[in-house]
Amino acid sequence: MPNGTRCVAAAMPDAPLTCLDFWCQAGSSSEQPGEEGIAHFLEHMVFKGSHRLAAGAFDEAIEALGGSSNAATGFDDVHFHVLIPPDRAAEALDLLLELVLQPALDPQGFSTERDVVLEEIAQYADQPTEQVLQSILSLGCGDHAYGRPILGRVATLNAMEPSLMRRFHQRRYLGPNCTLALAGPAPETLKPAIAASALADLPGDRNKPSSHQPLPLMLHAGRHTQRVDRLESARILMLWTTAPAHNQDAVMGADLATTLLGEGRRSRLVERLREELQLVESISMDLTALEEGSLITLEVICPEDALPAVEQEINAVLHQVADEAVSEQELRRGYQLVSNSLRYSLESVGHVTGLCASHVLWNRNQDLLSPLNHLSQWSAERLQTELFPALLPEKACVLIARPGANQ
Amino acid sequence: MSSALDILVEPLASPGVMAAKLWLPFGSACDARDQRGAHDLLASLLSRGCGPYNPKELADVVEGCGAGLRCDAQEDGLLLSLRSTLEDAEQLLPLLGWMVLEPHLAPDQVALEKNLTLQMLQRQREDPFHMAAVAWRGLAFNDGGYGHDPMGVEQDLQNIERQQILPLAQQLPSGRSVLSLAGCLPADIEHRIRAMDGFRGWPQASAEWNAGRLNYGTPAGERIHLESMDTEQVVLMLGQATVPHGHPDDLVLRLLQCHLGVGMSSLLFRRLREEHGVAYEVAVHYPQLMGPAPFVLLAATGMERAELSLQLLLQSWDELCQTTLSQADLTLARAKFIGQLAQARQTCSQRAERRVQLRAMGLRDDHDQSCMEAIASITVDRIQETCQRWFQKPQLSLCGPPESLETLERVWAKRHP
Repeated sequence: MPNGTRCVAAAMPDAPLTCLDFWCQAGSSSEQPGEEGIAHFLEHMVFKGSHRLAAGAFDEAIEALGGSSNAATGFDDVHFHVLIPPDRAAEALDLLLELVLQPALDPQGFSTERDVVLEEIAQYADQPTEQVLQSILSLGCGDHAYGRPILGRVATLNAMEPSLMRRFHQRRYLGPNCTLALAGPAPETLKPAIAASALADLPGDRNKPSSHQPLPLMLHAGRHTQRVDRLESARILMLWTTAPAHNQDAVMGADLATTLLGEGRRSRLVERLREELQLVESISMDLTALEEGSLITLEVICPEDALPAVEQEINAVLHQVADEAVSEQELRRGYQLVSNSLRYSLESVGHVTGLCASHVLWNRNQDLLSPLNHLSQWSAERLQTELFPALLPEKACVLIARPGANQ
Repeated sequence: MSSALDILVEPLASPGVMAAKLWLPFGSACDARDQRGAHDLLASLLSRGCGPYNPKELADVVEGCGAGLRCDAQEDGLLLSLRSTLEDAEQLLPLLGWMVLEPHLAPDQVALEKNLTLQMLQRQREDPFHMAAVAWRGLAFNDGGYGHDPMGVEQDLQNIERQQILPLAQQLPSGRSVLSLAGCLPADIEHRIRAMDGFRGWPQASAEWNAGRLNYGTPAGERIHLESMDTEQVVLMLGQATVPHGHPDDLVLRLLQCHLGVGMSSLLFRRLREEHGVAYEVAVHYPQLMGPAPFVLLAATGMERAELSLQLLLQSWDELCQTTLSQADLTLARAKFIGQLAQARQTCSQRAERRVQLRAMGLRDDHDQSCMEAIASITVDRIQETCQRWFQKPQLSLCGPPESLETLERVWAKRHP
């Protein structure tokens, strides 16, 4: 659109529903000091009504049309989506954009919704697994936004006013920062509705330099031990940073590497630690592709008395793949798992809009399957020389969490 | 005589992928009273070696195709799930047959899975939602088949050995099983599958086999359970065992579930979150079961506001019997019900699972379409009558800090002296 907003559509002729998915570069990493948690809090406040829609009117209208809505805030971006019967999509689009682009931020609603966010924080605090994960992000990412809880902290949230949130909204919800993705039976029929929608009224601000100055993501390697109350099994978490999402070649390599190491019974870590030595209840690796640097995590759940042996074996496996190339059979298995995982995710309209929008929002205009083209560039030798050496234990931030009272 | 295996096929446009679901009528509700967790253990063993493949070879075949294969024990049955691309389907489908007819159940794999399950059961004690749910099952179903989590109970699992698992495995082919395939499928698969390796030996339906009526359980004497845990929030679960999926009152309760707990326009969401801000998580749990399904209101709330939350939940529950819904609420609930059905038909896996479920429960293939028509004739008076029939004796499970539990117990005691 002239104001820099981008729209992307995927036709899925047999889908029973249409998904409308509005994305904005307004995740927690775009918060400034004193705003920590505001991106997520705003996501809640959006549903409390707009200039035209009273609190609750949006939900009722969408659900009366047979639709549903939800939203999610990440480190880099936030998105609001509606699933709706295709013949009601134009009405839903109008409601969604009104809600997201013109939030009322009413003081009374602000105060009540803050209580809800504080309950959400309490709910996370009651899950030891979540606490441990947040701990390693804080330890490994330091002052970078990826080390902060997306939900924010109680004191900061309690000090917030609607005016601060209004300024955040005005600063981030600009045309060039926004993307609308559609998937469903006939998304092209919505083109006139989009052209006439509130999206066109978003400020362009194209020439203004971005106020968002990301810190480079630097991993704080090291080994830490914590006692965590109410933990029933011990955990080992390891964190590495890798290339940002726009470096698709490196990200696909990292996806392949984590798959070879930690996905499925025949992966190196699962086979050795769970199947052969039977030291752990579970061991898995995960890649989170992010715009300022992606994160690779390894999570182990095991009995406390197995911790020393588990750590030793993980170290041995990680060194082994850096020393010797993986076999061709393993590599083929990895290619299949990574590529099919992407194919399976293309079945539902919500997944498709999510993939489309995140690519377009961050200026990666490409086919959904095109990241797979990078896979074949990752030979066993290239993985061994370029990737596995970066995943050695001494290059990680490591957290050993033991059951017991916090100290 | 017909085969004991029903096969359902639904070709669908998909990104070159298919899903297969095989349902066997032996779930955790069939666990013997002192072997709670036996069927879940059996389920986890089926993908650890079967037919011509040892555990490693089986994992190689599945993962080498980038496919997914799992088996889960649910309350009413075991559900085997396969997800693959069209190109690999013919190679992988026989695995489902072998898992049922020729599982290896090797002693070392039994020991490994048992150990993993015991560790998982221990870890679940970290989760206050899980603890509240387990306790609610105990209140509603006592020592009946629905009275325990499908994963089992630690003290029983400790004593389950391979010799207890073998007879359970042997009976798997004897029940009326259902296989459903959906997605991009190999040509003529419906007719060829019975001749495939793995499925060739599937027995004929036995006239003797009769699922019979299981003892799902009846309420314990107690109506409240307090689970003390040093958490910030209290988890509250208030509800009652009701009816099986497809029962004449089931559709009314599904509409009520939509009214109370589906979406941001739902009563619990508006009342607890929007009006009072006392909870983040609110929901209505009403699973689709062959026996008396729980209908449970759920909320998690901070200590200082737990009393208000409980009162709001109780108020919401009482209103169901005492007042009729407004026509506007009923209209909205109907729209949400139809929307829910559409959302549950998005992927091959969802479609295959729903078809298997309907067939296994003895419901017509067009049950969902019939329900969409039938909801038009459900009146607010009928909803109230149904609530009066099923919502007279709710049970309350609480998990959270002890000081909060004491306060909440007093609130409950005033109501149920």
